[in-house]
Amino acid sequence: MIQIPSDKIVREIALSCTDVRRSFKVGDKPLEVLHGVNLELRTGERLALMGTSGAGKTTLLNILGLLDRPTDGQVRVEGLDAWTLSPKKRAELRNRRIGFVFQFYHLLPELTALENAVLPAMILHGRGAFLSRRKDYREKAREMLNRFDLGDRFHHRPSQLSGGEQQRVAIARALLLDPPILIADEPTGNLDSKTGERVLEILLDEQTARGVSLLLVTHDERLAARCERVLYMKDGMIEMDSSEPIPT
Amino acid sequence: MFRTFLSLRYLRARKTNWIGMAGILVAVAALVLILSIMAGFLAESRRTLRGNLADLVIQPPASEMLRETTGDWIPVKTDLDRLLEIVDAHPKVVAATPQLQWYALFAPDGGESALQRPMQDAIELIEIIGVDPESEEHATTFYDSLTIEPGKKPHLGSYCSVGRPSDPKDPFRNLPRGLRAERGRPKTPILVGEQLAYLWGLRRGDEISLVTATFDQESGELNQTGANDRFQVVGSFRSKDNETDSRRIYMDRRALADWLQKDRDWSTVLLKVEDYERDKDVVRADLWQTLHDEQFLHAPGQISSEFRTWEDFRRTLLKAIENEKSLMGIMLSLVLVVAGFTVFALLSMMVTEKRRDIGILCALGATSRGVLTMFLLIGLWEAVIGSAFGALIGVWGAINIDAIERKLSETFGYQIFDRDIYLFDHIPAEVTTSGVAWIVGGAVVSTLVFAAIPAWRASRLDPVEALRHE
Repeated sequence: MIQIPSDKIVREIALSCTDVRRSFKVGDKPLEVLHGVNLELRTGERLALMGTSGAGKTTLLNILGLLDRPTDGQVRVEGLDAWTLSPKKRAELRNRRIGFVFQFYHLLPELTALENAVLPAMILHGRGAFLSRRKDYREKAREMLNRFDLGDRFHHRPSQLSGGEQQRVAIARALLLDPPILIADEPTGNLDSKTGERVLEILLDEQTARGVSLLLVTHDERLAARCERVLYMKDGMIEMDSSEPIPT
Repeated sequence: MFRTFLSLRYLRARKTNWIGMAGILVAVAALVLILSIMAGFLAESRRTLRGNLADLVIQPPASEMLRETTGDWIPVKTDLDRLLEIVDAHPKVVAATPQLQWYALFAPDGGESALQRPMQDAIELIEIIGVDPESEEHATTFYDSLTIEPGKKPHLGSYCSVGRPSDPKDPFRNLPRGLRAERGRPKTPILVGEQLAYLWGLRRGDEISLVTATFDQESGELNQTGANDRFQVVGSFRSKDNETDSRRIYMDRRALADWLQKDRDWSTVLLKVEDYERDKDVVRADLWQTLHDEQFLHAPGQISSEFRTWEDFRRTLLKAIENEKSLMGIMLSLVLVVAGFTVFALLSMMVTEKRRDIGILCALGATSRGVLTMFLLIGLWEAVIGSAFGALIGVWGAINIDAIERKLSETFGYQIFDRDIYLFDHIPAEVTTSGVAWIVGGAVVSTLVFAAIPAWRASRLDPVEALRHE
């Protein structure tokens, strides 16, 4: 009988997947990358996903982020079975419920830092609705960028920003619409340790302050140690869950 | 909102898009310019080809008898006054005038010279039109052609000193003594076409010969002694139709009838109606029937040359220009297609280049339709901006084409549009709003069609594929 700490049970599930399989066609033969993954991200939880490269972390993340459709299995975002919804609804989930932070920042090079941060709101609203709220959104983005020490970088293009600065803009972008779920794919993987530390600090502070559920993919043991729960992935399976007793 | 915002941003940031825009601009400008010029040619041709033709022309048979549709023969009426009475009675007819038309050989250096010239083009077959100046003034542009400024002759050595008749109301008045031969009685005054005058270097007061054949009124046989007489040039006219101006001579109708010794001193009646486009068919149908009932003409439609509109005389030429215009339009539309290809190529390139951005947008919640719209909008802006400026340039060019051509000719020392062989003395252009609207609309639609393919491809991109780090 597995013992689950009682405080975790009452928590709701923000994001979950059950029996997720994903196979790709390589030549003629299908190659299965995920072999039935079950994962639950609880509300307000800080969950780290670790694993060797090639274990299927990114594939799983894409599926959890609704960017990729599982070959088999279910993905639930706040209880909603995402792949039974219309593409439009799914896009809305991505837009409003999930924030992404990527390893390579993925800012739009033609937009300034501020514009990049406001982009999710532009995607959410039509022209009229956005223009009437533009001031608020810009104010909100400014406030966040200020908090992330980017007060003098509003009108810089990504190419004029350092890696750490770009990632901080990306965090501001991910948080603009106050999504309850945040998915970060090795957010410090491309930064030196000092810059990475600052980015991480911001990310974790915001997570705590907002009570956001954070799913963090990382290679870094120390980073994982700062999370409430750690999942280890190997060969397309969740091999170990730190919240479970280590099997003997 | 991101669609409009990003499409405009991409348009501004990616300078390659401007090439597509420039392509559309050039295509639209060329189409507007050339189709405007063609439309101008058409409109100007209608005006000038008309020359001094009246709205409607009645040419009764020259024979003595009419053949009815039943096969019976009835005598032809030749009472001009009665005919004019009938014609004037029609409410839509504004004016009518009789003419006597004849042909002759033009021989400026005396009768013999007409047949002595070794070169074929020197034998000049001339229309002699006998007119009544008073009634002609209202029915045709005869009066205008006597008052219009002489055409400009840019090259040296060719000049015309005939000039317009001093009194266009009475154009066939004899010249004062100083300007005509002292001896003998005054010769019959004639007006020559401006081009004819240029060609032969005629001056006011020159005497020329006309050689023609006359026929015996009784037997219809050719008279053995050809009519050959001297005439005096008293003025020139310009109908604007080159053909008319180089082969027509006007003289007084009665003087012509006298010379030809004809009993019937008219051959044609010209009509002017209130509104040509509106009335031409009605008036023709009405009058043709009445004139047939009165035994002037054959049954309506039986002999089509008896009652014609001026367009009937120039039908082939007008149709040819119209055809040319539509062909030109079709061919030039290919330029638009080429511009469309440019947009297609540039947008395709951009979609490939912007794969990552598309992936990011998807991750941030953009739908594939949103991505499609965004790229379509880039095409739309290119089309709208390109064709708007293209239309502006085209319209400006069309309006100023004459000045532009002169400037270019001056700069390069080469006459691009030779005004000597005028149909016209300027390059005509006619800009129509609907024409420009059609071209701009066509440009926008064709660009959108070409932009749709890369835009669709962009919307089908797999975001995971697009976001995979290089």
